[in-house]
Amino acid sequence: MPETKQILVDENHPLFDKAGMFYKEFPSDFRQIRYFTLLVVQKAPPEIKEINLLEQQISEIIKNAVKHGNHNDPSKKVKVWYSFSTTHAHLIVQDEGEGFKDIEKWNEFNKLRMEYFHSKNLDMLGKFVSYRTERSDDHDGGNAMFAALEYWSEGVVFNQARNAIAVKKVFPQKRLGVTLVNP
Amino acid sequence: MELKIRKQGEVYIIDVSGEMDLYNSFKLKELVMKMLEKKVDQFVINMENVDYIDSSGIGALIFICSTIKKMNLKLLITNVHGSVKKVIELTKLMGYFPMAATVEEALQKIGG
Repeated sequence: MPETKQILVDENHPLFDKAGMFYKEFPSDFRQIRYFTLLVVQKAPPEIKEINLLEQQISEIIKNAVKHGNHNDPSKKVKVWYSFSTTHAHLIVQDEGEGFKDIEKWNEFNKLRMEYFHSKNLDMLGKFVSYRTERSDDHDGGNAMFAALEYWSEGVVFNQARNAIAVKKVFPQKRLGVTLVNP
Repeated sequence: MELKIRKQGEVYIIDVSGEMDLYNSFKLKELVMKMLEKKVDQFVINMENVDYIDSSGIGALIFICSTIKKMNLKLLITNVHGSVKKVIELTKLMGYFPMAATVEEALQKIGG
């Protein structure tokens, strides 16, 4: 079974290097999360395939900051650093909340989820499709970070205060070459 | 997001179109719950015209799927494609959701 990816906590992780990144900040207005996301994603080059998916993944991270970090308090800001090219997407999002305290519990939950996934135990997997806490509401899917760990190929890392997340994806490049086939 | 219901035999098909996101996914849950109150017991959720889904949309599908499984009723999700399919794959839910390639295939499976 492949090793399960984990959310890391590492203030000094290279993904927190903001050099050369664009910056925007937004009020924590739940109604505008997708609009804020579009303001960020518009910097991404159109050559990136599946731009819808990139937008969705960025929207989830901004939503977490607005809703779970800042509790939709418009006086609290969400700070976003971002850079895109045809080969990568790199994002850092910081809120003014108390931080994601449950990272260890979440990693443990995800490890079990992946064990049931790999052993094709669908009955048990059914109990691990959504990570919920006492603060989760009916609108929370509880699955965003599962997809995030898979999508952001270079990692998902929180700072020590756990109120900033850094993620990066490297896009696979089309191989240009000629394959010789024996006649 | 727009939801339309049509009936084929005893099966109710919900055609979803638009984007299933954090602002509207609850509507699909509410619709299915109302249909369950009216004793509908065979569902197809047709995702042919859905090009965007987020974790709230996936959450709505999980809720619907687990509710219908618990009640031992029939559900198939059809025409999942593009980034919607990719999000379901990233979330490792391809095996969890009961799926069919097309509405016709779903109707055959449910009927069979």
